[in-house]
Amino acid sequence: MREYMKKLRLDEAELASRRSYFDITDADLGRLAALRGFAEKRTDPIVEEFYRHILGHGDSRKFFPDDATVRRVKALQRQYFLGLFTGVLDLKYVEDRLRVGAAHEHIGMPPKFYLGSYAHYLRLVRAHLVEEFGAGADETASYGSIEKLVYFDMALAMDTYILAGLEDLRRHQAAIRELSTPVIRVFQQVLLLPLVGAVDTQRAQQIMETVLLRVIQEQAKVIIIDIAGVLVVDTKVADHLLKTTAAVRLLGAETIITGIRAEVARTIVQLGVDTSSMPTRSRLAEGIELALNIIGKTITDRKADRGARRAPKDDLQEEP
Amino acid sequence: MTKRHEMRGSIPVLRIGSTLLATIQVELRDSVAEDFQRTVLTRIEDTGSTGLLIDITALDMVDSYVARVLVETSKMARLMGTEAVLVGMRPEVAATLVRMGFPVDGVRTALDVDDGLALLGRLRPAFDL
Repeated sequence: MREYMKKLRLDEAELASRRSYFDITDADLGRLAALRGFAEKRTDPIVEEFYRHILGHGDSRKFFPDDATVRRVKALQRQYFLGLFTGVLDLKYVEDRLRVGAAHEHIGMPPKFYLGSYAHYLRLVRAHLVEEFGAGADETASYGSIEKLVYFDMALAMDTYILAGLEDLRRHQAAIRELSTPVIRVFQQVLLLPLVGAVDTQRAQQIMETVLLRVIQEQAKVIIIDIAGVLVVDTKVADHLLKTTAAVRLLGAETIITGIRAEVARTIVQLGVDTSSMPTRSRLAEGIELALNIIGKTITDRKADRGARRAPKDDLQEEP
Repeated sequence: MTKRHEMRGSIPVLRIGSTLLATIQVELRDSVAEDFQRTVLTRIEDTGSTGLLIDITALDMVDSYVARVLVETSKMARLMGTEAVLVGMRPEVAATLVRMGFPVDGVRTALDVDDGLALLGRLRPAFDL
């Protein structure tokens, strides 16, 4: 929760700002504290009725699969309800309320149920207020104070929902970034980076960083960059590829570019990028051959190889 | 050895083993030159050929535009992993290019198609013909 507080920048100043915006005065808090007795008396019926509503709806019921869960959330709900009537609104209160929001987000309850329940909840509380004190100015003022604090809580819950969504998004972006430069070791000292999709300057930059890092990590002699899946290459990207090639050479390794498409080749040459220092091969297979060549290996036919090895052994029969 | 004859635009691009042979027999006017370049590069992409011979025996005049197209096409082919060789350049064409001061370095040349094939063979020892 501390983390949430930090991310939402919920400090004393923010709390004061929210309090004033929701118009929660000391009088409100005093009124709430005075309602404590009422709250303690009415908690159980309110919570019971509240859950009758939630569990009565097929879709919201799904979030409460068994009796144990229902008992647990009812207990939490009692705490929550009594929490409204402490007369204290500090950072600890905020932290508590964020936890409530996070719990709802955590079980995947959509905001519609959360907000919908709150409307029902407020109606229930009001009915109980009227029952206790009778309709009038006192009851209206009390209800007003409860409503303010409940809306304050709802705002916090929405914040946790949105924050959680943003966190998800950030995680996915990180995953995509990672997937966008999958450097694979295809042989000892030979790396392969297949590129698919659009390459923009940011990605090109990242490609360079990843490539250099991996070359060092893997002690690679050759890295093959296959761009058969890249349909568009602009000046900047071509330039980045060239720089990557040069930087890799500085590390003592070679870069081979494979799979340059006709349109990409046309663009690069027409843009006037000097590519004379960039070794290229049409197909990935040829790139791998060249790479093996560079590290002093060749691909040979297994049959010829086996024949050569077996030749001295007379006792072994040739396979048909 | 396979031989495939294909007409695209007006310049045939033949496939001989893993080499493409483009014989230019018509004047390379603007649209034709553009078309020629696209055709050759697309053929490289399709076939994965490792060598390209551009036969310009029939061209008795090469202006700077045509020269540029030829040089650029060679560079593009090289990017795609295909060594390009210009073959059959006429003496007067060579003289004109030199006189124009056209930068033709980086482009390989050979006397005729035969020599060009031999040159490609030397460039790529693992060349399969």
